[in-house]
Amino acid sequence: MPTPSVARLTAWSYLRRYRGPIGGGMAMLFLTNLLFVGIPVSTAGAIRAIQGPDPAAHVWPWALAMAVFALATALTRIWSRIWIFNAARAAEYDLRSDLFGHLLTLDAGFYRKNPTGDVMSRLTNDVQTVRAMWGAGILNVFNTGFAFVTVLVMMLRLDPITTAWAIVPFPTIVLVGRVFGKRIYKGSRDVQAQLGKLSSDLQEDLGGIQVIKSYALEPVRRKRFVAASEKLLQANMVLTRVRGQLVPVLGALSSAGSIIVLWVGGQRLSVDGLVEFSQYLARLVWPTLALGWMLSLMQRGQASWSRLEQLFATRPVVADGAGPAIPADELKGRLEIKDLTIEIDGRAILDHVSITMPAGTTTAIVGRTGAGKSTLVDALVRVSDIPKGTIFLDGRDLTTLPLGQVRTAIGYSPQEAFLFSTTIADNIAMGYGSGRAVPRARAEELDRIGARTAAADALDPMPGGVPDPRVVTATEAAGLAKDVARMPDGLATVVGERGITLSGGQRQRVALARALAKLPTVLILDDSLSSVDAETERIILGHLRAVMSARTSILISHRVAAVKDADQIVVLDAGKVAEVGTHAALLAKGGVYAELYQTQLDPDELGALTASQEVVS
Amino acid sequence: MTTATAPAPVRQGRRGAEAEEHLGKAYDLALMRRLWRFIVPHKRLVWIAFLLIPSTIGLELAQPWLLKVAVTDYIAPQQFAGFGSLIALYALLVAAQAGSSYLEQWVLQLLGQRAMHDLRIAIYDHVLRQRTAFFDRMPVGRLMTRMTNDIESINEMFAAGVVTLLADFVKMLAIVGIMMWMSVQLTLMTFVSLPFLVILVNYARKLMRRSFREIRVRLAAMNAFLQEHLSGVRVVQLFRREAAARGEYDEINAGHRDAYLDSIRADAMMYALVEAIGVLAIGLVAWMAAMLAGAGPDTATQLGVVAGFIEYINKFFIPVRDLSAKYAVMQGAMAATERITQLLDMEEPDAPARAVAAAVVEDRAASLVCFDDVHFAYAQGEPVLRGVSFDIPRGATVAVVGATGSGKSTLIKLLTRLYEIEDGAIRLAGVDVRDQKVDELRRRVTVVSQDVFLFGGTVLENLIAGTTKDRAAAEQALVRVGADRVLARRPEGLDTMVADRGANFSAGERQLLAFARAMVRDPEVLVLDEATAHVDPESEGLIEKGIALLMRGRTTLVIAHRLSTIRNADLILVMSRGQIVERGTHDELVAHGGVYAALERTFSRRD
Repeated sequence: MPTPSVARLTAWSYLRRYRGPIGGGMAMLFLTNLLFVGIPVSTAGAIRAIQGPDPAAHVWPWALAMAVFALATALTRIWSRIWIFNAARAAEYDLRSDLFGHLLTLDAGFYRKNPTGDVMSRLTNDVQTVRAMWGAGILNVFNTGFAFVTVLVMMLRLDPITTAWAIVPFPTIVLVGRVFGKRIYKGSRDVQAQLGKLSSDLQEDLGGIQVIKSYALEPVRRKRFVAASEKLLQANMVLTRVRGQLVPVLGALSSAGSIIVLWVGGQRLSVDGLVEFSQYLARLVWPTLALGWMLSLMQRGQASWSRLEQLFATRPVVADGAGPAIPADELKGRLEIKDLTIEIDGRAILDHVSITMPAGTTTAIVGRTGAGKSTLVDALVRVSDIPKGTIFLDGRDLTTLPLGQVRTAIGYSPQEAFLFSTTIADNIAMGYGSGRAVPRARAEELDRIGARTAAADALDPMPGGVPDPRVVTATEAAGLAKDVARMPDGLATVVGERGITLSGGQRQRVALARALAKLPTVLILDDSLSSVDAETERIILGHLRAVMSARTSILISHRVAAVKDADQIVVLDAGKVAEVGTHAALLAKGGVYAELYQTQLDPDELGALTASQEVVS
Repeated sequence: MTTATAPAPVRQGRRGAEAEEHLGKAYDLALMRRLWRFIVPHKRLVWIAFLLIPSTIGLELAQPWLLKVAVTDYIAPQQFAGFGSLIALYALLVAAQAGSSYLEQWVLQLLGQRAMHDLRIAIYDHVLRQRTAFFDRMPVGRLMTRMTNDIESINEMFAAGVVTLLADFVKMLAIVGIMMWMSVQLTLMTFVSLPFLVILVNYARKLMRRSFREIRVRLAAMNAFLQEHLSGVRVVQLFRREAAARGEYDEINAGHRDAYLDSIRADAMMYALVEAIGVLAIGLVAWMAAMLAGAGPDTATQLGVVAGFIEYINKFFIPVRDLSAKYAVMQGAMAATERITQLLDMEEPDAPARAVAAAVVEDRAASLVCFDDVHFAYAQGEPVLRGVSFDIPRGATVAVVGATGSGKSTLIKLLTRLYEIEDGAIRLAGVDVRDQKVDELRRRVTVVSQDVFLFGGTVLENLIAGTTKDRAAAEQALVRVGADRVLARRPEGLDTMVADRGANFSAGERQLLAFARAMVRDPEVLVLDEATAHVDPESEGLIEKGIALLMRGRTTLVIAHRLSTIRNADLILVMSRGQIVERGTHDELVAHGGVYAALERTFSRRD
């Protein structure tokens, strides 16, 4: 993943590619300011003509000049804005793309420390602030500079004394711009904070809706929500007051300039001079304010940039090994874990774990919640970092292998079935590097704006509506075929956000099919069928036996029915391997496994029993 | 909370997704009327605003008039006696305008904020009133967006949109009036430029309308994509989708970037060309003034009028120039209003009262809980319960056993009317649950589910929320279910703060707290879903004891996973595929030699 090298990256690096348009935009900006001067000059000329003899004959060239200058100013201004703003958007695109690419390389450790919400805020708020610094920032800073150079010269030419008086309020305007910029920023931040609090309250309410209803907690929760909403109202009002003050204060300050000009200039200048002067003054108010404003915008932009820079500087802990990769024909799937210890926050989650899994065998891992099962799996697929020399695939240290090979060799169906909001077929096809995360409906939209690429089309698992045989096979093996057949759109059914339109069991089976479609050397199923009813589970386990016989399999489950037939059962307890053996051997031993087996009534065993009884009767 | 494994109708979800991309008009009367309802209660503020708006406009528009007077009477004739008091008056007007405009802004904002606060609560109430099935279909994220971002969008309208738009319109009319009064010919000349303005505004409006919609859709798509890929980054990495994902992201990202092209163009044109047209109008006025100079009034007056006109024209064009920004806000607000309205129109009331209320006379003799031939399905055509009947006499314990998906958890949800049965009846003390007040029903029947949901706040708040019980009762309840140990290790005791979703308590501790929460409520009927998750042995023992204490002498329906619970039950129901396949006491069922007996044999072998 090409990530820009950190050493040379500054907030302005991304603009380098767009030097041309930005330079052009600045040139236009300078022209705008230069041409603008023509407008007050010709206005004054017109007024002089009105005062002079035969005004009707003398005024029209001035009026024409006004129109020409106005049009020229407008055109150059339009182009300056288009060039600079488009360049900023283009640079924003590059920045976003690099950021996203970089984020995809970061490992589980990073995402544990940085919740998705925070990372999203980097990608949305910080990127926006940086872009504002690039676009509005550059434009206004240069515009202010050019405006002062051109207009001030003209004002001084008319009358230095009036000029001196007229710009008396200007330092105040700069200050006001800066102070208000800061106050508004602080106010918006407070509003955002209150909004965040309200959101998390709301999330809690919606997440616990069944508890709220069951315990008739509506009045209590409502009170809490109303209070949060009121706090948000207060924060909003503070911000409003600041905003509400800004317009009148500015209006008053710029009018103060006009009054001074009227008072001083009125007695020193002619009418035409006064009108010309007033137009210059009016011209300077906005750039002056913008200057103060932009100073605080630039400051925020830099702060946002430094956060993004930090993000870029974060390197994944889990990285490619030095290689070389295991040749394809030597990849058998023998796994060996040797004395693996993993500590998180000083606590040993895995404590000197050693397990050998011969190629083509099935190993079941059982243990209580928190025994370290999932940590072990994360280590195997290198989602989390492992010490050197602790896990070996076909005799090769896992940390020396390219990450790509490890993850291609191992097919993993995680506990929480995470699906993308695309079609079932796409989700399954993702197992073997095909499929799209953006559903086809969106793809058509991309088509409309011409953003669709041939590379994306190659990822279609259902070209022309006919599903890829690999998808079909996996669907059947995961016991999903019957469910899919019942859906009106079949494999092309869009699963909705996080698979919301599917049942828990269906979601799990789609995730399972995805792992199966990969045809991996090592297959890991982490409690992959917990939401599937007992009968379906039995059918799936039947399918899986055939699939698993050809590969090394690791089954994690707390269901006895699922693990009973494994070649070996490993019992993890508080991060240690407590027992290893077959079902029968472990029961006979009367240790942790036997205890687990006996204290709980396994509902699936019951399911299996009821099913068999019904068959008999 | 166990999420129902109900497969929601597929079509529904897709329709929902499309609704997100709904095109927004900038102004929609029907929608405005819906919003108006939230403004009505704050009518007083509206009136104050209506008084302030003309005052601000008046104070502002008096200023160019003074300029005209200054030019005509003082500057053109170069005669400055009394000029000072005119300047003072000018300064006074400026100050007064600033004050009036600040007040106006403040009142309007207060109005907007209060109305939005009301709207937010109205949505909240509406959402909480919906039945549980509604939440199975509706992603939490979408509901959150309605109540946060969408409301903020409408809020923006109060800050920058419709009200100021109205004030701007009044101001523009007033300007035209004053100009006409000053000079009809010059005014007519000024508005020769108007056709250009109309064409421009219309063009820019079309451009913007398309562009803003595009931007909104792209932005939503991009954020959804990001959110999804960041929360599923593990899956992306495990399946080596990094390159493919980046490719897809770049497509969406490009769409997002290009969506702004039109809006940048429209914005730049609007700003620059409106200004140019303003200058053109001034040029025309100057030209006309020159034409009139010979025949009309004296030069000084004419100059004053021209100076005044320049100011008025500038003031006339500023609102037009800002129209684009306001247009965007309005369009966003209307789209948000439309989405909110759609949500408010979705009505799936939770446990509504029956049209014809049956006689609500409790029968002391009847069993406390009675399921009578109950049928139920989460989705049509996929029955979960098929004719379930059983009774729980007062003080008795009924244990339900069955495989995942046999329908046992559903029994619980039906008893408290989280879902509504299709056929049959469920009675509490002889009265159909559908004839009872739902909050009353839920006070009498307390559910303890296997995934304990604790709310943010203190432990005490969690225990006594929704009851009239006090701290002492909470302490007592903790001791009675043996949960006092959970807090013994924590210095703040009952005032210990609960982290997000109770993350600072172990699964076993959360269970014990849930028992205490139920104990505080001291319900007539206890409904218990025993946890299947394995916890450490110490907690296991405590939980087993806690359950026994909680159930003592109480009418209980329990979905049992523990043998001790099952063996002690007065009645055991064995469920399979939505039906009760065996029923009886432990001894009866063992004697019967069916499923339960087989199960018992397996267990005996283990012992």
